[in-house]
Amino acid sequence: MKKFDYHMPESLKEAYGLMEKQKGRARYIAGGTDVIVRVKQRAIEPEALISLRHISDLRGVHWNGGLRLGSMTILRDLERDEGTARDFKALHQAVRVLANPQVRNVATIGGNLANAAPSADCAPPLLVLGAKVEIDGPGGGRVVPLEAFFTGPGQTCLDGTEVIKSVIVPGVEKGTGTAFLKDGRVSQDIALINAAALVVMEGGVCKACRLAAGAVAPVPLRLKETEKAIEGREITPDVLEEIKGLAEKEVSPITDVRTTAEYRRIMSGVLIKRAVEQAARAAG
Amino acid sequence: MKKLITFTLNGYEVSAEVESHRMLLEVLRDTFDFKGTKPGCGQGECGACTVLVDDVNVDSCLYPAFEIEGKSVTTIEGLIDEGNKLHPVQESFVAHGGIQCGFCSPGMIMSATALLRENPSPSDGEIKAGISGNLCRCTGYVQIVESIRDAAERLQENAG
Repeated sequence: MKKFDYHMPESLKEAYGLMEKQKGRARYIAGGTDVIVRVKQRAIEPEALISLRHISDLRGVHWNGGLRLGSMTILRDLERDEGTARDFKALHQAVRVLANPQVRNVATIGGNLANAAPSADCAPPLLVLGAKVEIDGPGGGRVVPLEAFFTGPGQTCLDGTEVIKSVIVPGVEKGTGTAFLKDGRVSQDIALINAAALVVMEGGVCKACRLAAGAVAPVPLRLKETEKAIEGREITPDVLEEIKGLAEKEVSPITDVRTTAEYRRIMSGVLIKRAVEQAARAAG
Repeated sequence: MKKLITFTLNGYEVSAEVESHRMLLEVLRDTFDFKGTKPGCGQGECGACTVLVDDVNVDSCLYPAFEIEGKSVTTIEGLIDEGNKLHPVQESFVAHGGIQCGFCSPGMIMSATALLRENPSPSDGEIKAGISGNLCRCTGYVQIVESIRDAAERLQENAG
């Protein structure tokens, strides 16, 4: 492992100052459960790490109809948050099976997104919930939809000096149900495939639907064509079979050490179908 | 880059000069000579290096040493009472054979301790979830789960 300096700024201003001085040679670090592993593997070789853990502007879980999560919110705290378990079931289910207790005790929501693994468990639930990412940097702030945040495997729209300030999850309307499912050898593993569904039901008909799957494309993916096939219809066994086929067509998985493209394709259809079923049931 | 860090280690305030690229695991083993905490995969998969930081279990192999400033760290050595009496969780692992080669045991026991602190009477499913970040390659999981179930009872008897 290459040696690195380690800075612990207490304000964003201080963090940006450190980053601008070492631009291209330094990286931000949150909980470190991804960054430190990649430094050890020499996948990245930063000369300095700038810890975001001690910046109070990046902390806190705030409810105001929706949810505003400071990027340094530790996953274990989100797992224990009653409001999240009640209103954003898919997100809660994802956090509960992300890695293992030791990792969840230090890993953060912002870190999980900034790491931008196509398999990131928090991504599909946040995509279907319509989450936005509040970005801040030396040049100012901006808010981007999570869908526009991921640009490739391990790639985001962050410019290297910017940080995620918060994740904004809008409140859900009445009749909404969500679900998250993950396929792995054991649930704590990196997902072979993961999937989330959100449906808004009214009088037995699906008024709105959002679907997302992970580890099936270069970025966590919204399945917009499949969504269209559900909206305005009753969720019958025939419709579920139809969306299974549509989801299979919409993903573009690869074969890697974990599993094959074919398995991912078939199982993404299965998981999406089951997630819709569970979300519809949760919607009542 | 070097820095003097001060933290609480097994109840005692300690200081050490550490390099910025060191992890907590290295500080515990090499600076303080506490070899109970084991280096395993180095990637947060196996849990052999599990310690408690401010009472929650973490992988010390991924915990930057500088971040330990002002925090409280408990290692397997710190579970033993004054008078060299084993902690109830340790006693249970001995009594139920929750150990074979012993390499995973310190990490397992630290995760079990963290679990029981938060959830004093876990179900078997909750025990398995609680140690899901700790691998045992001797496949002694049955006895490990039994040990933790027994530890829960011992701790509750002690408390009540």
